[in-house]
Amino acid sequence: MQKAYINSLYKLLQKDKNVISCLSDSGTDYDEMIAREFPNQVINFGISENNKVAAAAGLASCGKIPFVYTTSAFLAYRSYEFIRDDICLQNYNVKLIGMGSGLSWSTLGPTHHTTEDIAILYTLPNLTILSPCSPKELEQCINYAYNHIGPVYVRMGMSNEKEIYDENYKFVFGKNNVIKEGKDVSIYVTGSIIEEVIEASKKLETNGFSIKIVNVATIKPFDKNSIINEKNKYIVTVEEQNILGGIGSIISSIITENNLNIKLFKIGLNDSFAKGYGTYKEMLKMNNLDGDSIYNIINSILSQ
Amino acid sequence: MNYRKTIFLTAYSASIAHIASAFSIVEILEVLYKEKILKYDVNNPNWDDRDRFILSKGHGSLALYTMLSEVGFFSKDLLKTFSKPNSVLGGEPCIPNIPGVEATTGSLGHGLSLAVGMALAKKIDNKKEKIYVLLGDGECEEGTIWEAVMFAVHYKLDNLIIIVDCNRIQKMGTLKSIMSIDSWKDKFNAFGCEVVEVDGHNTSELKSAFKQKNVNKPLVILADTIKGKGVSIVENDPRWHWRLPNKKELKIFMKELNISEEEINECKKLI
Repeated sequence: MQKAYINSLYKLLQKDKNVISCLSDSGTDYDEMIAREFPNQVINFGISENNKVAAAAGLASCGKIPFVYTTSAFLAYRSYEFIRDDICLQNYNVKLIGMGSGLSWSTLGPTHHTTEDIAILYTLPNLTILSPCSPKELEQCINYAYNHIGPVYVRMGMSNEKEIYDENYKFVFGKNNVIKEGKDVSIYVTGSIIEEVIEASKKLETNGFSIKIVNVATIKPFDKNSIINEKNKYIVTVEEQNILGGIGSIISSIITENNLNIKLFKIGLNDSFAKGYGTYKEMLKMNNLDGDSIYNIINSILSQ
Repeated sequence: MNYRKTIFLTAYSASIAHIASAFSIVEILEVLYKEKILKYDVNNPNWDDRDRFILSKGHGSLALYTMLSEVGFFSKDLLKTFSKPNSVLGGEPCIPNIPGVEATTGSLGHGLSLAVGMALAKKIDNKKEKIYVLLGDGECEEGTIWEAVMFAVHYKLDNLIIIVDCNRIQKMGTLKSIMSIDSWKDKFNAFGCEVVEVDGHNTSELKSAFKQKNVNKPLVILADTIKGKGVSIVENDPRWHWRLPNKKELKIFMKELNISEEEINECKKLI
């Protein structure tokens, strides 16, 4: 995902001199290379996220289009009030790019995990929230963010995500994307964990179940119609998030508000921080979010 | 023009405001807006080539609103709506509906970072405009102030002028008693800023300070002020951070700010 971001950013820096990459000691060797080519468009703020976020609002007030890039936990949690007051309240054209969302920073533990960003940022007026699941989708989300006038938060994993889409895929803003149709259950999933869902669905299908998978790449505004028009009686949400305030909660509200006859199950962190250390895959397994765990949970739901 | 009288009458009509915080910055704003320090066009508040002023200590809003109406960004009648339903003039300034106001402020420790972003944008574009930001001295207890100062020094933002309203009082007492601040001058110097100290109520000293040369570094003007300046019972008394006078105290306000009974009665009609 990081490589896809750098590629997209590079093209935007070339295309528009008002695009400014704002780092807080959060870049890579690629950023250093880009900085040499675009010295006025790549600014390292040092380890000071709050100053960076508010300064991005100041840059935007003078016509710049800042891409504020850092670990999503530091962005969403540390800088929440700055995102709220300086970017969302003043409705500035700032792009907040949170990298390493979910459990991507697996070995570094809960301070580096981002498992509540949807819950807290979803409540901010004026903020668009995108959550791409693959490099191709990320590139399109970054382009969308650039073209959209107003604040955007893009949360991206960094776990060597495989490409799940072919070259014809087109991200459509505000629309959930049905990866595959199925009649027994609809799995709504956001972000990198989609690979685990695809794995789980293959196993479920060998048991004779028909699984629909829906990729939620636009979290805000949420595609309410995809839930209202849902044909299946069961929805399972899967996310590397606390289930309190994640896409499961958003869908739960839509079901209630529209009096829908749908049974909802939420798979995520059950009001806890993630347990343990290890590779990303090991972290998912320890926290019952890997393909096998997702399979077991949904299999027992469907076997009732 | 008795700006403090206008500030007080506006606050009195609204039944509450931060009058002492507004009183301490009157001369700073007067020099900025009336002595041709700030470049602006009241008929075109969003003029690209304007200088920008950010009131980071947003609770001093009444001084800013008073000055903006004085120079013609909006009518003085608008002040009568301050903090009332449907008014654009809140206790803390919010963009975009107040002509002349450049930033939404209120939560302390934001304005300087907004200002460094603006100053950086102007530098990138090789533009000559300056960015002025007014901080409270109590506000300088916020960590982001120092993040922003480090940044401004590192990026040589000499188009940034930071004014600190050094009234030495915050809500619950003196700065000295709450955070043992010895010298802002030493602190800003240590970070690499150009620092000047002035009497913040002396317009000629302020005017000279704004003309101070600062090459390759931000200019910090430490304005020595009196919180509540202009009304004897308010001056230097932390209890006046967020209150209005009772009947007995009102007499002192009226005498010292030259306010008539009629003017008070007009205010009462607005309450």
